Amino acid sequence: MPVRKSYVLLGSVVVWIFLARILNGRHTLQIATYENTFFTSFVGERALSIRGNRTESTAFIYFFNPIRGVIDGFVQAIRDLIAVPAPNSVIPIIGWLGVIGIVAFVVFATSQWRTALLSVSLLLGCGVLGMWQFTMDSIALTLAAVLLSLAFGLPLGIWAGLSDRALRVMTPFLDLAQILPTLVYMAPIALVFMIGAASATIATMIYAIPICIRITSHAIRTLNPAPVEASLSMGSTSSQTLRKVQMPMAKQMIVLGINQTVMAALSFVVIAALIGAPGLGNPVISALIIRNVGQGFVAGIAVVFLAILMDRSTSAAAKRQETFIPPSAQDIKRKRLTLLITGILAIVTVFISRTVLWAAIWPKEFMVARQVQEITNDVTAWILENLFIFTNGLKDLISYSILNPLETILSQSPWYLTVSMIICLAVVIGGVRTGILAGVLAMCIVVSGLWFESMLTLTQTIVGTLLTMIFGMALGIWVGRSDRAARSLRPFLDAGQTLPAFVYLVPILGLFGPTRFTAILTGVIYATPVVVKLVSEGIRSVPTTLIEAATAAGSTTRQIIMKVQLPAAKKTIVLATNQGLIYVLAVVVIGGFVGGGGLGYLVIVGNSKPELQGKGLIAGACILLLGVIFDRIMQAGARRSS
Amino acid sequence: MKSLFRPRSAVLSAVIAAALVVSGCSSSVNDSAGEASGDCGSWAIAMHAWNGYTASAQVVAEIAKKELGCSITQTTLDEGPTTYDAMEAGTIDLIIEDWGGGRWQEWSDRGAVIDLGDGGNVGLIGVYVAPWMAEKYPDIVDSKNLGKYADLFKNADSGGKGAWYEGPPGYTTIGEKMVSANKLNFKVIFAGSEAALIDGFTKAEANKTAFIGYAWQPWTLHAKLPNLEKGHVKFPANDWVDAATASGLTDYPSTPLKKLVSKKLNDSNGAFMTLIKNFKWTNDDQNLVALDIEDGATPEAAAQKWIDAHADIVKKWLGK
Repeated sequence: MPVRKSYVLLGSVVVWIFLARILNGRHTLQIATYENTFFTSFVGERALSIRGNRTESTAFIYFFNPIRGVIDGFVQAIRDLIAVPAPNSVIPIIGWLGVIGIVAFVVFATSQWRTALLSVSLLLGCGVLGMWQFTMDSIALTLAAVLLSLAFGLPLGIWAGLSDRALRVMTPFLDLAQILPTLVYMAPIALVFMIGAASATIATMIYAIPICIRITSHAIRTLNPAPVEASLSMGSTSSQTLRKVQMPMAKQMIVLGINQTVMAALSFVVIAALIGAPGLGNPVISALIIRNVGQGFVAGIAVVFLAILMDRSTSAAAKRQETFIPPSAQDIKRKRLTLLITGILAIVTVFISRTVLWAAIWPKEFMVARQVQEITNDVTAWILENLFIFTNGLKDLISYSILNPLETILSQSPWYLTVSMIICLAVVIGGVRTGILAGVLAMCIVVSGLWFESMLTLTQTIVGTLLTMIFGMALGIWVGRSDRAARSLRPFLDAGQTLPAFVYLVPILGLFGPTRFTAILTGVIYATPVVVKLVSEGIRSVPTTLIEAATAAGSTTRQIIMKVQLPAAKKTIVLATNQGLIYVLAVVVIGGFVGGGGLGYLVIVGNSKPELQGKGLIAGACILLLGVIFDRIMQAGARRSS
Repeated sequence: MKSLFRPRSAVLSAVIAAALVVSGCSSSVNDSAGEASGDCGSWAIAMHAWNGYTASAQVVAEIAKKELGCSITQTTLDEGPTTYDAMEAGTIDLIIEDWGGGRWQEWSDRGAVIDLGDGGNVGLIGVYVAPWMAEKYPDIVDSKNLGKYADLFKNADSGGKGAWYEGPPGYTTIGEKMVSANKLNFKVIFAGSEAALIDGFTKAEANKTAFIGYAWQPWTLHAKLPNLEKGHVKFPANDWVDAATASGLTDYPSTPLKKLVSKKLNDSNGAFMTLIKNFKWTNDDQNLVALDIEDGATPEAAAQKWIDAHADIVKKWLGK
């Protein structure tokens, strides 16, 4: 059966390529960037009237604008506290020394002195890089977004953990949120809540809340049922059981959920700058625009520092919940004493940071930003000059060998041919229902009028996914088979998953120029860690008895990988491909900033040209449609293969 | 078991937090900071991405901070509606150089954005080839002859046609119309940024490779490639203002660049408003500052250098 399936697939691809050759250039639905279709101009007009009504319509006066006001005020309050000069002042309420003192105290109180020391050095690092105020702005925004996300996410997550019905209602939204590229919902949010911290906070929440809900509900659902049943049978009410049994048991997992929420919010700090958020995103984006690799690098390092700081301090707090050894009286005493001392130290630092200028605003003498920038720029210039043949050769190789032929097939063939191909693919892999869904969604793209651009984006996504899978599978198998590899690659995988793609987009742009390849490579770097993680988990979950049996039968390592581990991990690999594709898609569209063209460019141009606003919004919807089509096909495929 | 000492540490933390607040209230560094904010108030300047804009905005910001004691925030924002929206929302007060050619009309009708007139710089957009090409193929700078040279411009990303690099997303561009109206065998590629164009022109000139793209004045690239103007491809004289109605057969218009302010700033009538009203300088002035920035000076230092050298002009702007 699977053999026949792959023959059908191969056959249809051959037919498709053949027909695409014959019908090349017909019915491609290509329109120029400045042209609108009936549909896009309709949406554009609606959007313009929303803009115009923002001061008058009741929905805005009584709903959206108050929300914006409250969130803006909340963020501003935190910023006044640590980041920007407070009202009627030239310094923030707490200067840099005070912030460091407080962070040290809080981290020390919730985890241990080692983490506190790490946090302090990371913060000092951000200051030395000349990024203090940007870092504080980012912390303020992240803090606000995380607090609000938890306020919504934790209760919803607990609810979804307790009630099957709630979970069923939420699941489709959670799934959708997971494949929703961030670039897509920024424009609609900015349309309603305007440019500024409020929009950025809400966009971050949309990204972070689903993660919080998922982990919290999972935490409650995977609890050992025995204590819960015992509690209920002893006559506790369900709310008592929740508070006294389920919550304490799930606590560690929930703290992990908070950690993930923080990381999700943090991965948003850069892209949030596009809708006017203060913080580290600003130097990164401006580096992208003026193509200053050094500046992007400096700001990028600050983002990395911030990510490590947030991750380590929250995950250390989660780990501390693990110890069940009761502290001795002496331990308690010592802890209280050290807490008291560090607390007093924190107060002293705050006090100093409010009385002396050097402790309030990071002194210019303690910055190496300029030097780091110059060194980075020199290195990049050297690479550009001396490795041009390699970088350019690699780019041209990929462009001429895969990218251009595939783009010709997808974008230059008639739309009905490609739609049929997508339906055919969906039916073969996922069954008739998936086929119908894929067909309907593909037709939505056709009707929207942005078919041609969607095909450009699809081409880049497919090429990116192919490359991701090549790297991801190789590394994943390696990590899955060797503990040493797992240990040494772990930090890179973690970093890759939390680093905003914009951070490495700048150097890649420096190396490969404004091309589609730059967009694709950025997507590959973003997606590879998650693929490696999934593939290695799949390989590891293959029962050892199977491998032992194969070894006993005299199989070589190669045979074990090809004949035992990969087939047994097939489902995970399909899911990994799916994740890879979604990740690549989310980042490839950002490539519109750097010459990648396609739907991403339309989203971006829609932000800056009113006459193309409708087109930009529709382009966002098309990105989502593409994501959903392939997500559904692959998910169905994975379900069937198990 | 840990509950043994958790409540206590919680109490302790609370005490310390309270102490923090108290110590926070007790003193402030404001007096020692020297330049206390005067009655100028605090204003937000939109920072658009190109170097020329940075130059103008930074000069204004430095004067406002040093001479008037204003507290100035500078926010990086995309040109166009996003910024106009921010002005309407009250988070941005000034655009020092707007190329939009009236795109703010909707906002201006609602009174959210006020046009303060020209800032003295005149924007001129055009299609340029790398200057060496103009020497080698003298007739290339006539739009009628572009077509026959299209093959020179082929590369990996241009799909068998010539690669034609357009300006960043927010800029007024009609490249696609030019290509189709003149039936040129070019593919329009949106380079995405000013830097990509600078890179494209300078590399092409250095390596004698082909490049055609979007360029404009005032622009620092003209100082780096003094011959750049020779590569300006001539299209028939301009006959449009709104890019939406352009035919693509004629050239870009020259645009006096505007100063736009928020309603709040316009109503303030303070010292900062006077400065903005009087601010006016030439393309050469702007290029001086922009070039320093491009060569690695911080915007602050570059702006200060110009201010120090032009005290008389600054005085005039301040209305003294």
